[in-house]
Amino acid sequence: MSYGSTIALKPVDLTLYDGVTGLFGPNGAGKSTLLRVLTGLLRPSAGAALLHGDEIRSSDESIRRRIGYVGHEAGLYPRLSVLENLELFSDLHGLARGRVSEVIEQLDMGEWRATRVAALSAGLKRRAAVARAVLHEPDVLLLDEPYANLDDDASERVSATVQTWRAPGRVAVIATHGAKRVKAFADAGIIIQRGNVISYRRRTPTGYEVAT
Amino acid sequence: MAERGFVGKTSVLIRKDLLVELRGRDTLPPMLAFCVTVALLLAFSLPGNTVMQDAVEVPIGTIAIADVIAGFLWITILFAGLIGFARTFEVDRAEGALDALLLVPLDRSGLFAAKALSNLVYIVVVQLVLVPVFALFFSLGLGADWLVLVLVIALVDIGFVAVGTLFASLAAQTRSRELILPVLALPALVPIFLAAVELTSDLFMGGGFEAVAARGWFGVLIVFDLVFATVGALTFEFAID
Repeated sequence: MSYGSTIALKPVDLTLYDGVTGLFGPNGAGKSTLLRVLTGLLRPSAGAALLHGDEIRSSDESIRRRIGYVGHEAGLYPRLSVLENLELFSDLHGLARGRVSEVIEQLDMGEWRATRVAALSAGLKRRAAVARAVLHEPDVLLLDEPYANLDDDASERVSATVQTWRAPGRVAVIATHGAKRVKAFADAGIIIQRGNVISYRRRTPTGYEVAT
Repeated sequence: MAERGFVGKTSVLIRKDLLVELRGRDTLPPMLAFCVTVALLLAFSLPGNTVMQDAVEVPIGTIAIADVIAGFLWITILFAGLIGFARTFEVDRAEGALDALLLVPLDRSGLFAAKALSNLVYIVVVQLVLVPVFALFFSLGLGADWLVLVLVIALVDIGFVAVGTLFASLAAQTRSRELILPVLALPALVPIFLAAVELTSDLFMGGGFEAVAARGWFGVLIVFDLVFATVGALTFEFAID
């Protein structure tokens, strides 16, 4: 995957398993590019990302239903309140209204439900973004630096939300340059550097094993 | 709750766009300010007490005042529209909401329809202000033919927003989108604005519906609307992705 003459991600061939996979690496390693390829928002220069054998393309409605994504930005409308944003995406996903309240509660956003996103701190925006991504209970959850600007309590909330979402058949990839938080509950970890996957390991009852 | 269908989700997106505009007022006020200012300048560019059927000297010869005023009206609407279309996706680009929107389960043609209808609302509001301003400044007296003018405006608007929204989605992928949009859209808009000026000019000259319809420009408008509404809905996916 390249941007002009810059290669952001070199050929990657790996299978993601149920559970949470941490995607670790320094800034500019290619984590965000890999996540965007997995959403289908970015088409790889060669090859494909597959979800249960189907190519992931953002133009495919059935694939879109199954993906929840938080990028570098919140993916919310600044002039709408947290509640209005979540209701908007809830309506577009065809969810019951009760689900919005449930997610707001889960991420402890009740106090800010009527606050416009533009007026939220960076940390609160991240939480609202995570709320938006898990709203429709996707099979694939892709979070890019979800802990950025979060204090310890808020980080715990996000981790707890991901763990509540976790279920058989669901895959989460959490990209972060600070591995500590995700390592605590991840089932696998990928280390990426300069566009190369240099390590992919899965947690086993006795330790870690190399995954492919 | 049963999942909303195509129309339901499209309505949700239109409501969102209008609510954001109501709160931010980023699109309509600049369009309206442009229109009123241009109308004012144009009003001063013509001699006072002009009659629609009067002849006026222009570099290419002698034409009727009605042709000039019809041209003024539609050129003002054209450029006001381009100001608005350039902002079509700005509301979604802030905070990366466009990515989130592209991942919701709604056919891309629904997104196109929502954006085109939101743009249509802005254009109609502009026309609701601009046409009375023109009527005042240029003493337009159409009598019963106002209804025909409304029909002309409605037919022009459909094609105009279809083209504008489609090219706005292409321009949105570029850095200099506000410059790219007119370059892309203006050539495609020539037929529809040519028809608009011809029809409006005929109306200003006192031609009724039958006389105006006989010249065939309505056919041009209807074909243009059908072609670009269809092309827009079908190709929007490739433009926005």
